Amino acid sequence: MKSFPKHRRLPAILLALAAAGLGAAEAVVATCGPFTDTAADAFCPFVLEIFYLGITTGTTPTTYSPADNVTRLQMAAFLSRTVDGTLKRRGKRAALRQYWTTQNSTVLGLTTVAQSPRFVRYDGADLWVSCSNGISRVRASDGRPLETWTGAPNAAGVLTAIGKVLIAGGGNPGSLYVIDPSQPAGAATTVASNLGNVAIGIAFDGTRVFTANTSGSVSLVTPGASIPWTVTTVSSGFITPTGAVFDGSNVWITDSDAGTLLKLDPSGTVLQTVTVGSNPNFPVFDGTSLWVPNATGSTVSVVRASNGAVLATLTGNGLALPRAAAFDGQRVLVTDSGSDAVSLWKAADLTPLSTIPTGASTSVYAAASDGVSFWITLSNVNKLARF
Amino acid sequence: MRPGVASRRIASACVLGATALLSGAGGALLGLCGPFTDTAADAFCPFVLEIFYLGITTGTTATTYSPDGNVTRLQMAAFLSRSVDRSLARGGRRAALNQFWTPQNGGVLGIAPLDFIPTWIESDGTDVWVPATDGTEVWRIRGSDLKFVENWLGVANARGIVIAAGKVFVSGYATPGALYRIDPTLPAGLADTVATNLGSGPAFLTFDGGRVWSANNGGSVSIVTPGTSLPWTVTTVTVGGTTGVLFDGSNVWATDANGGKLLKFDAAGAVLQTVTVGGGPQIPVFDGANIWVPNGGSGSISVVRASTGAVLATLTGNGLAIPESAAFDGERILVTNPTTNSVSLWLAAGLIPIGTFSTGANTMPWGSCSDGTRFWLAFNQSPSLARF
Repeated sequence: MKSFPKHRRLPAILLALAAAGLGAAEAVVATCGPFTDTAADAFCPFVLEIFYLGITTGTTPTTYSPADNVTRLQMAAFLSRTVDGTLKRRGKRAALRQYWTTQNSTVLGLTTVAQSPRFVRYDGADLWVSCSNGISRVRASDGRPLETWTGAPNAAGVLTAIGKVLIAGGGNPGSLYVIDPSQPAGAATTVASNLGNVAIGIAFDGTRVFTANTSGSVSLVTPGASIPWTVTTVSSGFITPTGAVFDGSNVWITDSDAGTLLKLDPSGTVLQTVTVGSNPNFPVFDGTSLWVPNATGSTVSVVRASNGAVLATLTGNGLALPRAAAFDGQRVLVTDSGSDAVSLWKAADLTPLSTIPTGASTSVYAAASDGVSFWITLSNVNKLARF
Repeated sequence: MRPGVASRRIASACVLGATALLSGAGGALLGLCGPFTDTAADAFCPFVLEIFYLGITTGTTATTYSPDGNVTRLQMAAFLSRSVDRSLARGGRRAALNQFWTPQNGGVLGIAPLDFIPTWIESDGTDVWVPATDGTEVWRIRGSDLKFVENWLGVANARGIVIAAGKVFVSGYATPGALYRIDPTLPAGLADTVATNLGSGPAFLTFDGGRVWSANNGGSVSIVTPGTSLPWTVTTVTVGGTTGVLFDGSNVWATDANGGKLLKFDAAGAVLQTVTVGGGPQIPVFDGANIWVPNGGSGSISVVRASTGAVLATLTGNGLAIPESAAFDGERILVTNPTTNSVSLWLAAGLIPIGTFSTGANTMPWGSCSDGTRFWLAFNQSPSLARF
């Protein structure tokens, strides 16, 4: 029987050796867990931790080769496993014992929402869903429908920011609606009605709300103390803006007809144009990279936000008219509007995980994550599904 | 002082520096990078400072980092181990809520009184769901303030619980066993009976992404496949007297308390691997890499690598008495010791004992779970839940 606490005890002689700067390999050879070539000294707990975590298996089952150097190739494996292990443990799914991936449409958790749901966003407790006849609020913990707000015709992209829920209104001209979730459900407030035509994508940069207007513009809306809020609409450089996302530094817009991803400065000027696939729609940022679903291209472009480099163009894994992407801290989910399915990837290394059907004729549209589950809108059946 | 922590602090003072990650930095002119006089204030300096500020390195001396030095595998172990520890400590919700403490005694636990004696509990991330042991109802307690939310009726001989597929599933501990379904999107009412032909004594439940599995004390495992109509299809496989069951992302595992085994199943319920653990293994938990198996009959914990089935360690001490159940909060493992009214905690990554903590006289902590921030305990002697 291995009695782990023994490994933590530090004989005085070994401490003295360590303090003198001598490497462990130079100390008395002892047993450190399974490793007979590694001293049971102050370093042993570190070796054991990365062994228990699966970051290393040793150079053989009984040796760790503690004095060997690490090549850059070996380092890549060690760092990759370190990131993977950390993300897996840190996600809330681990604490809730939810290591599974939903396998089929029968085990989706379904909540009935208003008519023809499209976009969904999580506020930290509840989900907000834009529908053709209202905005539905659903509690994430149990999927219970809480309330429905009205007064948001042509509701499209949803954003939770500044303590409010903001919705792009895709009319002509476009509008911006605001819901104060601290108030009883009622009609949303129209804070601007002079956005570019057909506002659909929406993002917030900490100061302004950006909307992507498919008529060929981007509107910047500055929240103010009184209504209407100030709107600036920029048309230069845009053909069909569709999706919008903020990466912590810049807003990015997908231009679906141009097949590009556009990096904007705070005034809406295009700083960089990245060619992606055909008909890019609604992207997500994973902390490092932007995942851009290219609908008619049936691909996903993965773009490094810091420099705009296209790291990979993903194909297969069930991609069929991919519409929108969501990120849960570990995985990226892409909705496949052409096949009533969703495709999953491991975000850290772009590894395909699986494709899961959402049910025949459900018309899956967009997705969000609450940090535990993904939530997807099924437009044709008026459902929000917990995945 | 915890021996593991002591050794790490000492090691922090003598670990040599590293630049394998940052090749090229040493070629720059010398400058001033934080406390390090031998490291240039160039583009690599922020990386060096980050791992210094995070406590991943302390430098080779108080004023040198030795940027051109190589990294041995031994030194690398220290850097990686500390990287994991710091990331987990910072990334957890306890950090954001400034809740770095561990409750030191039963007097500082949050208590939610119940009308029944609980055995197993489960969190949906916001609320805790508690079946009334061998009773007919399931209570829902709000995690944030311990208030009663609602109760569901219509179950019989309630016992095991799993929250999956947007539903709450509860087993009926009878012969044959039953499975009940609660739809939490609806107002509280009656649970649905989805199957009444499980094996005898379904004590604990898990989910594999498509099906609900029950560990049946009567000597079997049942697999329940959800369908569009009731009843759902049940397949029961005869094995030893299973007690606990979990899913590791690839396979279902169950403890065989009579045989002192941990069993790995394939998707059809066939036993793929048998791992010998301690005596009387009870309710295990998976930490993302390893399965922690409380061995009630031998007062130990077997830590089993899920990918291979290898027993990495058998933990003793740290207050282990007759351990019953284990839970994982992303960073720590908690194990209940009903007979000594206490729980034992470990840092999961390094299997480092944290300590043993009293839950109060006559509490008998039995089942446990985590909501991602706090642990929750089912007190099997006093009718209550405790937020630990």
